[in-house]
Amino acid sequence: MKESMDINSILNAAIKREEEAYKFYKDVAERMDNKAVREAFQQFAEDELGHKDFLKNCLKDPSLLKNLPVPKDYKVAEATEAPLLSVDMKPADAMALAMKKEQEAAEFYLKLAKTAVNSQYQEAFRGLANMELDHKTRIEALFVGIGYPEVF
Amino acid sequence: MTNSIQELKDAELIFVIGSNMTEGHPVVSYYVKQAVKKGATLIVTDPRKTDLTRWATHHVQIKLGSDIAYINGLMNEIFKNGWADETFIKEHTENPDDIRKWVQAYPVERASEICGVPVDKMKEIARLLGTTKSAAVCYTLGITEHICGTDNVKTLANLQMVLGNLGRPSAGLNPLRGQNNVQGACDMGALPNVFHCYQPVDDPKVIEKMEKAWGVTGLSNKPGYKMPTMLRKALDGGTKILYCIADNTVQTEPHMAHTIKELKALELFIVCDIFPNLTTQYAHVIFPDYAWGEEEGTFSNTERRVQRVRGALKPPAGCRPSWWILQELGNRLGVDLRFTSSRAIYEDMRRTATSYAGITYDRIEEQGLQWPCPTLEHPGTTFLHKDGNFSRGKGLFSKTDWVPPAEVPDAEYPFALSTGRRLWHYHTATQTRNSVGLENLFPEELLEIHPQDAARLGIKSGDMVKAKSRRGEIVLKAWVTERSAPGLCWTSFHFEEACGNVITNDAFDPVTETAEYKACAIKIEKVKSAETPMIDLHRQARP
Repeated sequence: MKESMDINSILNAAIKREEEAYKFYKDVAERMDNKAVREAFQQFAEDELGHKDFLKNCLKDPSLLKNLPVPKDYKVAEATEAPLLSVDMKPADAMALAMKKEQEAAEFYLKLAKTAVNSQYQEAFRGLANMELDHKTRIEALFVGIGYPEVF
Repeated sequence: MTNSIQELKDAELIFVIGSNMTEGHPVVSYYVKQAVKKGATLIVTDPRKTDLTRWATHHVQIKLGSDIAYINGLMNEIFKNGWADETFIKEHTENPDDIRKWVQAYPVERASEICGVPVDKMKEIARLLGTTKSAAVCYTLGITEHICGTDNVKTLANLQMVLGNLGRPSAGLNPLRGQNNVQGACDMGALPNVFHCYQPVDDPKVIEKMEKAWGVTGLSNKPGYKMPTMLRKALDGGTKILYCIADNTVQTEPHMAHTIKELKALELFIVCDIFPNLTTQYAHVIFPDYAWGEEEGTFSNTERRVQRVRGALKPPAGCRPSWWILQELGNRLGVDLRFTSSRAIYEDMRRTATSYAGITYDRIEEQGLQWPCPTLEHPGTTFLHKDGNFSRGKGLFSKTDWVPPAEVPDAEYPFALSTGRRLWHYHTATQTRNSVGLENLFPEELLEIHPQDAARLGIKSGDMVKAKSRRGEIVLKAWVTERSAPGLCWTSFHFEEACGNVITNDAFDPVTETAEYKACAIKIEKVKSAETPMIDLHRQARP
């Protein structure tokens, strides 16, 4: 019972992080000049809400976290410099910023998994890390499709 | 290419325009033929009846240089019938109202008058494009080698956005590059305005990055000249020295007599090449270079695939790799470029690369990778613009209007001439005419002329004819054939003794400075009757 309660506090903390991420993306979206960038940040905000819903479901059934597949990690975010946040960001920079944030979130959970006191907590943190990695990988795929244009 | 070559075999519809791919890109044409065998619709739009038209559901024989009117007319019809991909347009483009308005100026009736395609045929092509779920567009130099080449490409981009054919497999906008490694040359920064991987020379951050990586200061942040400007400036002293690597400039630039004048005006002209050719005649210094079968390195093909090439033959005595020649030249000028091998140079490039950063010699030992490949873990990218995303965010429709070629037929020069390439020879044939087999298969240049025109001028296949433009004249053998439409002639630039570029027009696209090789005006006169009937012409000229 105690373990279940502790898993719940992990999930509640994660839900809070998703809410903060949602607020960050939503606030940023409102300030963007480029419509496409605005929409990209709105989409990232929606994605965070999706994560929040998923985590709420995990509160009811923590085993959901175990079933998350381990995504392929191409480490594009790791190889990309974080762009500065500005109102006139280009779409590729917006995606670079978002994938860096997802990278940080995944690293945060992986670090917790390493220091977790028992296997159940480790699994929970790894599951959360996989959720963030999956989001990072999806944003990286979008970034790669537009971030390296030919120019003349 | 936004997409990959092999994806073409799974396309539902392939729209080929300005591309004689059977001869210019035979490997790509293989996949197109595979798609046709599987039931794909193939629409070939070309002023000539190229070999690929035998595989086509429709051959649309447009007038030379009328592409914009034709495509805008198709878009007009697509909108009119509600065949546009409205979801894609709404979600992934910036200015959909503009394109709807712009193409209204091209109802099919008007477009038909300009491009010469019957109205019913245009409507049918629009229907096929508009009602097929996904279509790939392939184009080549027939689109880009016009004074409106940039607008031609933009018009095709408009079409693919209207149809929602970007960001998905077996679709996209697919330029088939003119040579096997022209993509690689551009990727490596053989352009006047960018370093490797298209990093702009006028971006202070890029300059800082390169200076730090190479341990130098004072890199120029000024874009250089494009090739036509480089050559033009030789005449007023703006270009004094030209270092030319493996480009037979005299034979490849339009208006050969003018090119020679420009090269003669240089104070120093250095050429690196593998055989003597028309251009080496004007060089003050010739450096004997390695050929492709002797050199180590990489080629990057039209689908962005970086592939290893290896030296298979021992080079002739005295020849050196291009990089070695540059290194030695640098040494004598007091600059150590620190080039030690092709592999080391590649690694040096990769350290500061973006889209190539994940591609190492080891990773492509057996099979190439397609850029963007930004990390060592990344598998490469088969198609770009996933989910309809673009570098600027949403796709921007561009306004394009038809303009005629810079030079059109008139009373004095009544024929249009277009030029291109043949299966049997490569570029200026510096290599292929040194191959006994290929030279036997196609030993001399021909001028295609339609039977109606030939009959009027009393010309038969095999007769020697003079083709003359305002810039020069060539004498070559006539080939009377329906491959070219009435009023249109065609030849190549492979043969120095009868090179199409003696007579082509040095009018250029204002953005890319690509010459209008595909359209000029000529007159034709018979010089000498054939001594023997040319029964083999058909076999020789048509693959």
